[in-house]
Amino acid sequence: MVGRFRWAAMFPDEVWEHVFSFLTSDADRNAAALVCRNWNRIERRSRKRVFVGNCYSVAPTVAVRLFPEVRAAVIKGKPHFADFNLVPSDWGGGAEAWVEAMAEGWPNLEELRFKRMVVSDDCLDLIARSFKNFKVLSLVSCDGFSTSGLAAIAANCRNLRELNLRESEVEETCLNWISHFPESCTSLVALDIACLEGEVNASILERLISRCSNIMTLRLNHSVPLERLVGLLQRAPQLMDLGTGKFSARHNPQLFSRLESAIAGCKNLRNLSGFWEPGLTYLPAVYSICEGLTSLNLNYATIQNPELVKLISRCKNLRRLLVMDLIEDSGLVAVASSCKLLQELRVFPSDPYDAAEPVSLTEQGLVAVSAGCPMLHSVLYFCRQMTNAALLTVAKNRPNLTCFRLCIIEPRTPDYVTQEPLDTGFSAIVESCKDLRRLSVSGLLTDLVFKSIGASANYLEMLSIAFAGDGDMGLHYILSGCKNLRKLEIRDCPFGDKPLLQNASKLETMRSLWMSSCSVTLGACRQLARAMPRLNVEVINESGRGPLVAQPDNCPVEKLYIYRTIAGPRTDTPQCVWTI
Amino acid sequence: MELELGLALPSSDLMMEKSTFCKKRRFDEVLDENTVTLPLFMQREEDSDSDRGFERSSEELNFGGGRVIVGWPPVKLSRRRTSCVKVNMEGIAIGRKVDLSLHDSYQALFLTLYTMFPKKQHEEEDGAYNSYKVTYEDEEGDWMLVGDVPWEAFIKSAKRLKIITY
Repeated sequence: MVGRFRWAAMFPDEVWEHVFSFLTSDADRNAAALVCRNWNRIERRSRKRVFVGNCYSVAPTVAVRLFPEVRAAVIKGKPHFADFNLVPSDWGGGAEAWVEAMAEGWPNLEELRFKRMVVSDDCLDLIARSFKNFKVLSLVSCDGFSTSGLAAIAANCRNLRELNLRESEVEETCLNWISHFPESCTSLVALDIACLEGEVNASILERLISRCSNIMTLRLNHSVPLERLVGLLQRAPQLMDLGTGKFSARHNPQLFSRLESAIAGCKNLRNLSGFWEPGLTYLPAVYSICEGLTSLNLNYATIQNPELVKLISRCKNLRRLLVMDLIEDSGLVAVASSCKLLQELRVFPSDPYDAAEPVSLTEQGLVAVSAGCPMLHSVLYFCRQMTNAALLTVAKNRPNLTCFRLCIIEPRTPDYVTQEPLDTGFSAIVESCKDLRRLSVSGLLTDLVFKSIGASANYLEMLSIAFAGDGDMGLHYILSGCKNLRKLEIRDCPFGDKPLLQNASKLETMRSLWMSSCSVTLGACRQLARAMPRLNVEVINESGRGPLVAQPDNCPVEKLYIYRTIAGPRTDTPQCVWTI
Repeated sequence: MELELGLALPSSDLMMEKSTFCKKRRFDEVLDENTVTLPLFMQREEDSDSDRGFERSSEELNFGGGRVIVGWPPVKLSRRRTSCVKVNMEGIAIGRKVDLSLHDSYQALFLTLYTMFPKKQHEEEDGAYNSYKVTYEDEEGDWMLVGDVPWEAFIKSAKRLKIITY
């Protein structure tokens, strides 16, 4: 068969490199790399962008050596459930090993994006000093660093274009870190500091924004008062993406009209967010740009109806809406008739821990939007009641759903009309929505729903399950079906050893599996680890029962995290984590 | 069965406005027999094959004897932008709500709590003064003594308060 590929050798490597440069998706580049040895060598040597979905799946030094020309890297760390405090804070996901390897092997690195990693100030310092052409730093849902680290980045990254700290936890050690951007810094295009808890000096920010004429994204934190927002907007009328700071002030008609005209001057505004502590008097100041908005994020804005609906109804071109359940069913009905281009909807609970006073947001709102918004494909919905009938309607209305995450707040809640499990409803979703990539189920569910999911959800990549199922068969259906499953996260389900052992090889086709408060025993983990050397089987036991090595096979496992890796067991596990 | 009141501090208009998000209800509404607060976690029937021999670690008992589920519902903690937390006092059925953001220190908080749960409600018959501790449930579901961590860290992580006697 060698002869068939002889023509390939007629072209010098540079030609193939150029051809490969048109392959933008990782999947396509991966496929090209598997064609033959030559293409493998050429592709990996010319690859500019690398995505590492699990930081422990490959050793940093190996990744850096294999792909020497990388300019942009995305690295993800902790399991998703770390967002909800299910993962011990010292579990891992430290960025040092990666940053050190990159500093050594990728001096031309321009873009670095970390998600759910622990990034220290030392890391930030190393980043600031190591990459002479560094342009983009994105730390999403990260922690471990402080504003001192940010000061180092600001001071040393001369061509910094983007600094994004979305939803990270940042210690406030350096009060005026923003002032560390030198006067010569004019390159900023995107700055997202919304997560910062401390004060940000608005005057220094204003001067920075003034000299960065290409600034397109500016997301402020709650400390920036409305009065200062005016000045910032006047200096950056070209903004496309704005996250306001505090959105209230004492009643002041002059401030209102100055704000109104500053906002109206931002004719390119497409994304709007922020609205910390919103005061109703100032909301109308944004009305003028509503029609141009494609994305509106009100998930921190405690605005209620009717003002909330008044605002959203003006946004006729909205593609993406994030809002609290304060919108209620009536508000979603209005969205369904006003926002015909809506593609993504996320409704968050305003009062997640308090069952006493529900807002009037039910399954009706979801049904209304599913009927009225033909392009809706991504849904995240928190509510307190649901019916199979509603889910069937949603499934029928929106077969184009790619992401459906439903969280009924009280675990094991049945269909409130029929008192039945919600099996038929969710089954309808997976059977109708053939392109579904992500699914979260909730409410009262038996093994039957997992049978449907396993059989029908052929493109499902991520599945989240909580307080559901009857027994082992539930998990078996999932692991023996769902051909494209990559991430599975399960909590509080009666799934045990058998389905894991029966489907061990499936686990190697996935990125990771998380199981907590299920019925898995240590013995099964030991068996699994022995049978599958390319999996790391990590057991997390926080109740201090003593070294796991001494525990018997029938010892129950509190939390289990299994992931495929070519790096072998990691060396940075804390006390409560054992790699079996 | 717990009933709840969300009363504002007996103070300025500004405070009243800020407290509206504690969702105040009128006293007679609260005492209406029909407005019952459902427990946060529904009691399940004992399943027959629960000879697994271990407690589900997600469920814990709080001081009130009610069940609390760690990490549920699945919302990121930064999401809890309303700073109102429930306050219960041992032995008193009616709970309250307090807006932590209206206070700048532990002292201010204790003053509010003292106002909300005045001595008369909990004095012993012989008039002896009882000692009280204020505890709080943090983001990880653990019960801690109020006052140990810096104020800013406390208001970020406190989910609910409980006043206990000791």
